[in-house]
Amino acid sequence: MRSGDFKERTAQLIVLNDSRVAWAWAAASLGALVVAPYALNAYHLSLLIVILITGTGALGLHVLTGSTGLISLGHVGFLVAGAYAYAVSVTRYGWSPLVGFALAGLVPTAVSLVVGIPSLRLKGLYLAITTLAFASIINYFVLELDWLTSGARGMAVPRPTIAGVAFDSEPRFALLCLLVAVVTLFAVLNIERSRVGRAFRAIRDNDIAARAMGISLYAYKLRAFMTSAFICGIAGALFGLYLSFVSIESFPFMMSIEALAILIVGGLGSTLGAVIGTAFIVLLPELSRLALGLIGTQAKALLSTGAYELRTILYGVAIILFLRFEPRGVVGVWRDAKRLWVQWPLRY
Amino acid sequence: MQYLIDQLVSGVAVGAVYGLVAMGFALTYKATGVVNFAQGEIAMLVAYVAWSMAEAHPESPWLAVAGALAAAIVFGLVVERFIMRPMLGEPIFSTVMVTIALAVILRSATLLLWDAYPHGLELGVGRGLIVIGQTGMRTAQLGVIAALLVAMASVWAFFRFSRIGKAMRAVAADERAAQLMGISAGRVHAVAWVASSTISGMAGVFFALLYDVSPTLFQVGIKGFPATILGGLDSVLGSGFGGIVIGVVENLAAGYAKPSVKAVAGLVIIIAVLLIRPFGLFGKREIERV
Amino acid sequence: MRRSLMATAGMIAALAASTARAEQGISATEILLGEVEPFTGPPALLGIAYNIGTRLAIAEANEAGGVDGRKLRLLVEDDGYVAARTLQGLRKLIEDDKVFALTSISGSGTAVAALPYVDKTGIPTMASVAPVTPLYNPPRKAVFCVGQSYEEGTYQAARYLAAKFPGKKWGILTQDDDYGLALRTGFTRAVKEGSLKVVFDAQYNKGQRDFSSEMLRARAAGVEIFIAGGVISETVAMVKELEKLGSKPTVAIPWPGRLTATLKLMGAASDGIYAVDYVEPENSAAYRSLQERAKRVVGEEEAKKMNRYTLAAYASTRVLIDAMRRCGNKLTRACTIAELEKTEGFETGVMGPVSFAPGMRTSSQSLRILQAEYATLSFKTVQ
Repeated sequence: MRSGDFKERTAQLIVLNDSRVAWAWAAASLGALVVAPYALNAYHLSLLIVILITGTGALGLHVLTGSTGLISLGHVGFLVAGAYAYAVSVTRYGWSPLVGFALAGLVPTAVSLVVGIPSLRLKGLYLAITTLAFASIINYFVLELDWLTSGARGMAVPRPTIAGVAFDSEPRFALLCLLVAVVTLFAVLNIERSRVGRAFRAIRDNDIAARAMGISLYAYKLRAFMTSAFICGIAGALFGLYLSFVSIESFPFMMSIEALAILIVGGLGSTLGAVIGTAFIVLLPELSRLALGLIGTQAKALLSTGAYELRTILYGVAIILFLRFEPRGVVGVWRDAKRLWVQWPLRY
Repeated sequence: MQYLIDQLVSGVAVGAVYGLVAMGFALTYKATGVVNFAQGEIAMLVAYVAWSMAEAHPESPWLAVAGALAAAIVFGLVVERFIMRPMLGEPIFSTVMVTIALAVILRSATLLLWDAYPHGLELGVGRGLIVIGQTGMRTAQLGVIAALLVAMASVWAFFRFSRIGKAMRAVAADERAAQLMGISAGRVHAVAWVASSTISGMAGVFFALLYDVSPTLFQVGIKGFPATILGGLDSVLGSGFGGIVIGVVENLAAGYAKPSVKAVAGLVIIIAVLLIRPFGLFGKREIERV
Repeated sequence: MRRSLMATAGMIAALAASTARAEQGISATEILLGEVEPFTGPPALLGIAYNIGTRLAIAEANEAGGVDGRKLRLLVEDDGYVAARTLQGLRKLIEDDKVFALTSISGSGTAVAALPYVDKTGIPTMASVAPVTPLYNPPRKAVFCVGQSYEEGTYQAARYLAAKFPGKKWGILTQDDDYGLALRTGFTRAVKEGSLKVVFDAQYNKGQRDFSSEMLRARAAGVEIFIAGGVISETVAMVKELEKLGSKPTVAIPWPGRLTATLKLMGAASDGIYAVDYVEPENSAAYRSLQERAKRVVGEEEAKKMNRYTLAAYASTRVLIDAMRRCGNKLTRACTIAELEKTEGFETGVMGPVSFAPGMRTSSQSLRILQAEYATLSFKTVQ
């Protein structure tokens, strides 16, 4: 009789998930997400779309920051590159949306080489610094290349028709975003259990040991950076489609910070954390709206317009509190809760 | 020729503001190993305190200066003690994120406590015009250049002669060894934070005198950052000098090439520096390649 | 047969009437209006001021008995001047809170980004914060803009100055966004028509404060008439830089910077600068009267935050409410849009008469040229 959890073959070690229950839950939530766009009201649907798009972007950053342990402060630049690659190819040149999506991934990947090659040779915070500069420089290029990007005017991006299916209505567009998000999630999970993913993790946990095992730090860091840029580019294109309009003002610098906050709050290094963190951060304003609602209309009138600024402060405070008291993020809390549920009243 | 001199002079003046902020960056980095991304926000907060004091007591501008100084010192202490010290030993990523979150909080708090209007800081000085040769300057411009020089000289003397300055160098060189020698790293960190917020607070007040106090003042931090990369993240004096270089380069780029290049000139310098000399002009050559 | 036909007709009529009653956002006692504005971040400057104007217009309408016996109630959402949040706020207002009409859809870039969605829903919409051309050209059925384009503003200011000071050398410095672009377009038109001689023409990066190199360049080029196309701080910095350089060109500024605060910041250098605007200046009787009424409605503290955008909002919302009133007890969205279109010479007291027309979605307010007087910190109308 098996008295414990034994892994006897490599396949068992690297399987995506060995628990039937987990798969069942995943299938059930996927089913719910497929039905949801037709059941939710328009506002909640827009929140769902934002969660799906933001989640895709967060997974992109997760490959770099969570898996490989590199900080980027300018990932919004890749969103801009992706959104403009799509807008220019589809709106300006009238190419097929599929080409648009391909370019939305490939252009940021190419750009990531330009940024990554000089900065990934170096240890430490240097990637954070160059990406910070990069986010401003890309805006400068968008403004300067007026003939291509329409500069400050921005570009309209109509919802796509792919293989005869028009994604013009909100529920359909939500399904497109869901498809992209799920594919990204699986891709990221699969990268993590491959040789490449293990190399990423080795670099994050101990780069000297990783090098001793024959992992080229430079090559693998660059790979992580490129993958991350590719995914974020796709998310950027989706975001442009969601707004139906692309301009550099649609991509404020704060988005880079928000993405990092998502990873931290969710639980740094955990793919599930990136997903949960996305939902948490996107819904945070809703939570604070509820909280303010509890105070009552009278107090709300007193707080008047200042109340909105309080929300932003709350957001910063949440990041600091998580970093200080629960560095494993929401996922850590969840795992503790699960363990408590299974093993109570014993501690372990 | 006069045109070139004018461009250089105003470049040095604006560069001095960047230089002060850059010294703030370098001070915290050298002593604590943290890049404080809330540097510009601290400058903004101090400038707002100065403005509030000046509005409340327009007759005694010295009170505003003293108030701003006190605010910078208290703020540096509070941030170090209650926000940064608990993060000691956490990964560098977490500490950097904490400073970013702090920046977000300070930006919103400024709007909550004051308003979104730009205001003029009236200290009774700084607005006057001085003409040297054919070049006109505001007294505040001369003031900020002088302030940068004084700050650089005192930082140099501080590291060279004072006990705590030497301790800071020791902590920067090897924190564990320094602690074994009986140096309190906590105290060194506190001093570094206070010095850094005071110096960037000065930058904030001068910025307010030269331009205005507004909720976008924190962007002075974004401008000072390239300066510290150029001068060397761990070189406080180098960062001050880097500010001047960035200011002059920006002005020459805008004065002779296209004015819109100004915005990215500093950032292009960052990338160029990282390619050629990643440790900056005056930084220690300890940055490793992978 | 005949009877059944009549019965059917009656039923259809009843159904039509009941759907009219059930128009979204109208209950037995209330009509809901919605507005998205930046209440956070630096652009809160205009969002909060605009919101005061909307609230004032609504409060006055309610005191006068509301619309068709129903009180108006305003729901607001903050977007922090981020396009994605504008869109989200609008979705919440339109599809969750089910408002009847929109009194504002935030500033220039955010409003333009929200336009495709608002247009699709067909909800009566006032977009009067920043009257940029894409909001009404091409015209959208339900989107109305009370105001005048930045293009026309710069154009008229330039024409006025060109006529007053002929044969001068011109310079212009604008922000690198859609607002700056609009100023530039209007200026270019004036340059072509008047064959003006432009010796300095540049753009600056949003958020820039130091204009020393640009102004040195302008001085070296011998600029005599200068269009300072900043918002507030930027315009102030440009003028003060010119003062420092001892260069004294004639300066003209567009309306986003036309505030008393700007004059205070510029100091003595502000004396004599030209501005262009379509709302009453701050020293006018109309502005003061509005200020007094606003104090009563939003309180002393909030009223301090009002500025020219409050007037734009007040006029814009009055126009909307008036159109709703004209629909009487048949208040529907379609009727409101039809009535808005028929707005003709409507007086709001804070700007010239407002008119729309079929296919004409901007009221194209008459502009006036103003000149600053530092001694009194005010703008006087010169034309």
